[in-house]
Amino acid sequence: MRFKASIHNVATFTKLTASLNSLGPLAWVKLGEEQICFTIIPEQGTQVWAVLSVDSIFETISVQSAAHNVINLEVPLASLTRALKSALNATSATIRLTKKDGVPVLALTIVTTTSSNAYSAFPANNDNRPDASSADDSSGGSRETIVTQEIPVKVLSPDTVAGLHEPRCREPDVHIMLPPLMQLKSISDRFTKLALADAKTGSGSVASKPRLEVAANMHGCLRMSIQSDAMSISSVWTDLINPDLDPNEVDGGEAGIADHPSTRMKLLGTADGRSKEGWATVRIDGRDWGKVMSVGRLGGRVVACFCHEHALILYVYLPSEHSDDESVLTYYVSSYSA
Amino acid sequence: MDEEEPPVLTAVSSSARQLFMLLRCIAFASKAHVTISEEGVKLSVDEASVMEASVFLDKSLFTTYTFRAPPPQPNPEHSDSDDDEPEPNTAPNFQISLTALLETLQIFGLTDPSSTRPPWARDNPYPTSTAFSNNVLGMNNLCRISYDSPGAPLSIVLTEASIRTSCDLTTYEPDYADEIPFDRHSLAFKTIMRGSWLYDAISELSSTSPEKLTMYAKTVRGKPFFALSSSGTLGSARVEFNNEPRPSAFRTLAPANPSIGDDAPEPQTNLLETFQLSDPQDILRSTYKFSLVQKAARAMSVSTKVSVRADTQGVLSLQFMVEVESAGSGAPGGKISFVDFRFVPLVEDEEDDVGGGDVDETLMQNGNASDHEDSDTSML
Repeated sequence: MRFKASIHNVATFTKLTASLNSLGPLAWVKLGEEQICFTIIPEQGTQVWAVLSVDSIFETISVQSAAHNVINLEVPLASLTRALKSALNATSATIRLTKKDGVPVLALTIVTTTSSNAYSAFPANNDNRPDASSADDSSGGSRETIVTQEIPVKVLSPDTVAGLHEPRCREPDVHIMLPPLMQLKSISDRFTKLALADAKTGSGSVASKPRLEVAANMHGCLRMSIQSDAMSISSVWTDLINPDLDPNEVDGGEAGIADHPSTRMKLLGTADGRSKEGWATVRIDGRDWGKVMSVGRLGGRVVACFCHEHALILYVYLPSEHSDDESVLTYYVSSYSA
Repeated sequence: MDEEEPPVLTAVSSSARQLFMLLRCIAFASKAHVTISEEGVKLSVDEASVMEASVFLDKSLFTTYTFRAPPPQPNPEHSDSDDDEPEPNTAPNFQISLTALLETLQIFGLTDPSSTRPPWARDNPYPTSTAFSNNVLGMNNLCRISYDSPGAPLSIVLTEASIRTSCDLTTYEPDYADEIPFDRHSLAFKTIMRGSWLYDAISELSSTSPEKLTMYAKTVRGKPFFALSSSGTLGSARVEFNNEPRPSAFRTLAPANPSIGDDAPEPQTNLLETFQLSDPQDILRSTYKFSLVQKAARAMSVSTKVSVRADTQGVLSLQFMVEVESAGSGAPGGKISFVDFRFVPLVEDEEDDVGGGDVDETLMQNGNASDHEDSDTSML
């Protein structure tokens, strides 16, 4: 079993692991030659199934294993994020799977070149110092620092992960492109804070977890609202985009689209968001939602699929230089009953 | 049945921030009483009936303000007695959650994309501004407050770019009707000074976490003298406001202007702009709970002027003049609003009176003669 890769986009990788870490401490990482999958299945809350093209993070990769060249690992995300953060200024970073004292570890080797500018603060130049090493002179005053961070991991056998499946969901009622997640997050965080503050001052009978109600229609409107004894507040976004379905992706092609729940939802509701009809609604935990929104720092397009009263699925498409490779993070948020 | 009735209140403000700045001054309680009248909206909060604070949102703060007094409560027996003349006490009065209102008003600006990214770096999949965008037309940050009928929620609608936030605040029955009585016709004492000076004094005194705040006012040789003294378990401290600017190096608060000398006080150079004692011979002394007065600290810090008044019963009234920034291209200069605080004095028992007498004595001497350390040096 061998895995070795050089990372070419440390910043993206760090942001990714950091935002995944907010949802759960451990990730199932599936390494393959073509794509890398990060999966987080917490006890409760949102599941993430991320599929990344190798190019989006790694420059070169080699994966070899007995099981069709696929390696399954259980990685502690906090340690990985911490290690990657130290590599942010690196000139090159490589990651490989190795063993140390019988424990499998992911070794992250970070090479940092300190430029000669850093030494300009010293008044004396190297030529006048008799003890200046020749190595320093030859490299023009720059030094290379190599740091290796080791992250203990667990290797998962194919049997262990065979039972894990991506959640299946019925066809969504509404699909919509979300506004920038950081904007959504700032508002939803304030809503959650409001509901919490109210629950604290109010009677103890209020549910401890604030339930955020998120709804969308097929006319470009998204509504987020929260209710408490003292108030009910809602924000409505208009002029969003409802992407068209691709007939090749829907069962039954054109006929399937005509029958699709979203086509029926299109007949209901209005574009100004004032109508009471045509909304697909889910109720989610406010704090959990805030964690999901933290993926906004990656800055991709987000398409939300609403299954009324059932689940919310977010597809976060990561931006990449090459338009052909698609990296998708899929978030499954299940709805609480009213 | 009341579907046809026009709403009781419709008010549109072009700056939610203005409202927020004013309301934040009284944000020490979670619930606020709201009284709507022809002239504006009054929000008041109280604490254990010994302190109350209120903000008056004048109708001039709003771009549109429409008030229609609700019809008197349907009373089958006296239904047609007062038809033409609305009763004076029909002004709608209810309670709302002040914390919720403040949080709602703050939603503004959160979503302003220009603050986070330069225009060339913004994501293109989202609609960009056109000539008719709200922010180009100056229509962003609109805040619309409406109250349909007694019992209905107070709704606030904020419009910003393509986001519309609406908040319905549940209205509760008011739980008190009486204000702390303050008799403005029998004032014992009145002075006007800069709000920041009072703020400095209170924050200086708060360092020893005192329990009581005592206010002294008297006239010494025709000169006003005002002092705030705090006392608690850790000790006591006193801040004096003296209207005797002298060319002394130790006088930092008053500008050193030798031409004033002992002449009549001039408004510019005096700490105390107005100083009135009902009985100039007497020393006014009354004590309040420090922690309550401290709750007015935010109002002190943002106000330009404060009027400190005490009536013959000892009730303290602090009236703050707050200049709020004008909304964009409105009238030049800020609009002036008032924030009021009232405090019930602490009842002093015999022991305190004995101790208090001593304090008075020292104060007397300080003012009278030249043994006050500051005055001392200046007399040299």
